[in-house]
Amino acid sequence: MMISETFLRLQDIVVEFGGFRAVNGLNLELKKGELRCLIGPNGAGKTTALDVMCGKVKPKAGRMTLKDRDITDLPDYKMARAGVGRKFQVPSFFRELSVRDNLEVAYCKRLGVFANVLRFRRSAEGDGLEKIAELVGLEDFLDHLAGYLSHGQTQSLEIALLLAQDSDLILMDEPTAGMTSAETMHTAKILNALRGRHTLLVVEHDMAFVREISDVITVMHQGKVLAEGRAMEIQSNQAVKDAYLGSGGISHA
Amino acid sequence: MNDHHKPILRLLAYAIFCVAILAVPLFVSDAYLLNKLARYIIFGILSLALSLSWGYAGILNLGLAASFGLGSYCMAMALKLRTIPIQTGVSGLPDFMAWNNVKTLPWFWEPFHSYVFAVFAGVAVPMLLAFLIAWFVFPARVNGVYVAIITLAMLVVTNLLVIDQQRFTGGFNGITDLATFSVFGVDFDSYSPALYYLAGVTLSLSLFLGLALMSSKTGLILQAIRDDETRVWYFGYDVAAYKTFIFCVSAGVAGFAGMLYTLVMEFASPTFLAVPISLSIVIWCAVGGRASLLGAALGAIVVTGVQGSLSETPAFLDTWSLIMGALFIIVVLFLPNGLVSLGDVFWAKRREQRAPAPMANALAATEARRQPGAPRRESTN
Repeated sequence: MMISETFLRLQDIVVEFGGFRAVNGLNLELKKGELRCLIGPNGAGKTTALDVMCGKVKPKAGRMTLKDRDITDLPDYKMARAGVGRKFQVPSFFRELSVRDNLEVAYCKRLGVFANVLRFRRSAEGDGLEKIAELVGLEDFLDHLAGYLSHGQTQSLEIALLLAQDSDLILMDEPTAGMTSAETMHTAKILNALRGRHTLLVVEHDMAFVREISDVITVMHQGKVLAEGRAMEIQSNQAVKDAYLGSGGISHA
Repeated sequence: MNDHHKPILRLLAYAIFCVAILAVPLFVSDAYLLNKLARYIIFGILSLALSLSWGYAGILNLGLAASFGLGSYCMAMALKLRTIPIQTGVSGLPDFMAWNNVKTLPWFWEPFHSYVFAVFAGVAVPMLLAFLIAWFVFPARVNGVYVAIITLAMLVVTNLLVIDQQRFTGGFNGITDLATFSVFGVDFDSYSPALYYLAGVTLSLSLFLGLALMSSKTGLILQAIRDDETRVWYFGYDVAAYKTFIFCVSAGVAGFAGMLYTLVMEFASPTFLAVPISLSIVIWCAVGGRASLLGAALGAIVVTGVQGSLSETPAFLDTWSLIMGALFIIVVLFLPNGLVSLGDVFWAKRREQRAPAPMANALAATEARRQPGAPRRESTN
């Protein structure tokens, strides 16, 4: 694999909400197949940064390229087509559809209205989707309405949706919130298995989880990158300690 | 919910319903009654059309009566041109045009000499209007109650235009004194079994085609849009295109129902494309169960049927609308998913009795009982 190739590049991204700069000159580079963790104190602009990367929020300034293609100005659904998949902080899936149908929707190789009119569900791709459900531990719930899953299960479902979508770049906002520690460790395993084929950017607060999965950690503070490095380096970095001061220090966050 | 388990049972229910509808003329010989039933069935088709957009895709179209009315006018125009006018003779103008000092037939009336064009227009014109609205609304990501308001406004404008352009549309009076629709040697007289069958077959076809559409991946994505539209955008689907598609299909079906309605009523009137009809469709859908095509059709037939018989019974002459109101409230309170969910409730009860303990069964029973999302969807669609 060409592991050194720059896959995603953010240059001087600025996002303003009514005069408040949520992201203030963010520079970020991800290599192909990398699993990067993004951490930072509350209000650092992590979620807004993900919003920019998936097209939910358009930056006031700055450029973004994916696979050397400038995607800054694409609307959100075209960014998804370009290869960006996103898991939101608030669980978002289809409550009134079964788990299987949720995965069917996420399996989006063909997108057109008319291409899908004569395609009936539970077709050839069904097998692959069942394997995905098995991977996240939802195989017994395929025919249940997604609205009746427990909170931890909905997090698993969202990861399954991303797997079914099969994007090159996967953005995750707090994937383990509400999970039991066993589920968290299982999720760590899944994410570890994804690196290489997918490029991942994970926003997390759970440092044990971050240590488990990350090669490189990026710390954001006040809308820009404060530090970048391996877990040990980050934890001993004085600037990072200062940024977290008052919220208990990074190791307890 | 209805959509996930027992697909065979559902297919069977649809089939039984269609057979029952089509068997009616074997037992009913009263032409007046048959005409009335044909009317109810046409309302069933109209209600089904709303179910496609509202029940499945979450688009509350309060302007569906405009589609219905335009379809009705297209058919009425074709039939009017086949009526020999009393005042102006064989090649003359429709009577109301003569009264309004119109000298020559307007250009847009010309093609209605052809039945083929008229039937095509009866579906295409409503779809075109729907497409225009959709083109403005959906790519701009206008949602929920705003769509309802915009479509309602569109309906009112269409209604005013039709009334205002009396020279071309007959104004308040509509288009009356129509010839009988006849193709392939069959007269679709408004009191004939032929017309009843035409309505019944149309409803049956719409039911099964609608079911097929909603079982396709497109149908699945529409239901996903109803649940969480934003999420669907982030999978790369062009949600606006999907919504536009179902919005237009729904309008086309309503237009076809409108054409049939002209045949049954023997006239077209601006009251066909007015607000009360549009609101009635919403009530039919809600009573029957908007997330089920069969439920929506059944709701229309039951509500209009009860309405018809109550208002014709001397004892209820003063109170029938009160009774109808009470019925709506009862259904909405106790069966938020409509009459069609009666089956699900029954099903869940029986399963509870037979197998009380296992977790899976309990879960399935709650599924049916809790009727997920019904109240919530009200505010988000």
